[in-house]
Amino acid sequence: MAPLLDERARADALVARIQAAVTRPMALMEVCGTHTMAIGHHGLRSRMPAGLRLVSGPGCPVCVTPAEDVDRAIAMAKEPGVIVATFGDMIKVPGTRGSLAKARSEGAQVQVVYSPLDALRLAQDKPDHTVVFVGIGFETTTPTIAATMLRARAAGVENFCVLPAFKVVPQAMEALVLSPQTDIDGFICPGHVTALIGVAPYLPLAEKYGVPCVVTGFEALDILEGVAMLVEQIAAGEARVENQYKRAVPYEGNPKAMAIVDQVLQPCDAMWRGVGVIPGTGLEPRPEFASMDARTRVPVEIPPPADLPKGCSCGAVMLGLLLPSECPLFGKACTPASAVGPCMVSSEGACAAYYKYGGA
Amino acid sequence: MCLAVPGKVLELEGSMGRVDFGGIQRELCMDLLPEIELGSWVLAHAGFAIQILDEEEAQKTLALFREWADFEAENSLGPTPLDGVEPSGGGDGSPA
Repeated sequence: MAPLLDERARADALVARIQAAVTRPMALMEVCGTHTMAIGHHGLRSRMPAGLRLVSGPGCPVCVTPAEDVDRAIAMAKEPGVIVATFGDMIKVPGTRGSLAKARSEGAQVQVVYSPLDALRLAQDKPDHTVVFVGIGFETTTPTIAATMLRARAAGVENFCVLPAFKVVPQAMEALVLSPQTDIDGFICPGHVTALIGVAPYLPLAEKYGVPCVVTGFEALDILEGVAMLVEQIAAGEARVENQYKRAVPYEGNPKAMAIVDQVLQPCDAMWRGVGVIPGTGLEPRPEFASMDARTRVPVEIPPPADLPKGCSCGAVMLGLLLPSECPLFGKACTPASAVGPCMVSSEGACAAYYKYGGA
Repeated sequence: MCLAVPGKVLELEGSMGRVDFGGIQRELCMDLLPEIELGSWVLAHAGFAIQILDEEEAQKTLALFREWADFEAENSLGPTPLDGVEPSGGGDGSPA
């Protein structure tokens, strides 16, 4: 690791570049919860010039999973002979009534796994149960689940299925740009999503809508450099897609992984919690993989979903319209210990980041 | 959720590999990187290797950071870049 002073000098140099380019008000949006946490953790907002706002977008797959999908997972876990396996991030997220954690405390079968492969192993170990894996995630995670579905098919494991709640990022960014509510001058593009999808999917954002995009890594210096590249483009009146995170993101991404996704899943419309339905931003099993779609394998009745708890502003927060601290519940009725909305529950939610690190 | 961790591939057996993460070893599935070679650095996410890390690019990024720092040091004899920078005040988000 480089000496601290060296790191500091580099950070100062990048801050100077940012300072020089921000000659008018600018707003940049990050659409990755890992960036949200890193910006808070390193206190980067406090190093930005007054004219530059860093706003958080709908960058956390846990936060944008609609109450309906949570309700469905809970109902499935309550079915006899069904085990719901999920990433730990999902377990405390409130649905319309309760969470998977609450359902588990009431006797439902819910198991936290680190990898979708663990859920597949669970299905192999318990052939008399149906294992439902909660398929949440952006393009970083989706290929791991699609590859697991291929493995299940190859191994003839028939008691493994997936509740599809996948989301795709670039099309959602396009919807944000087209929304009359939002005003974004540039995107800090998600490094690890892009490691899979490659750089090209952002080209329309720059070329069609004139919004600069920089694919950015997750170290403090990466983020400062990504911000510098963005504000320099904006100051020069340019709109290009640049890649700051070349050490992990080749231009073409990981085409083999994306081919696996395409083999197993097809596009569909998707509900984003607090935001609404964005056409073409979801993925569901192709007809050849319908037998692995938990929605048909484990049919359940769920009550009409209430998208967000009463008084919760997570929708406006995820659109970058409201700072978490501007929500009337923030830090009062809604804290990480007793969270009301999904952005406070998720460790990478914008509200949780603001609570932990302040607006710094 | 999209956190991914770098590690070095120590062993390969079929489509599974043993990967070292700074002293902690874990088994990773290589289905998404079938062309992976021993000794490569990979990004790991949810039990899978999802991308190969480019060591040359990693070095270049670090070298660039160093160059800027040198440039600043040579060209800035007066105030440091942070002097006079107003904090943007990203909200009064401190917990109550």
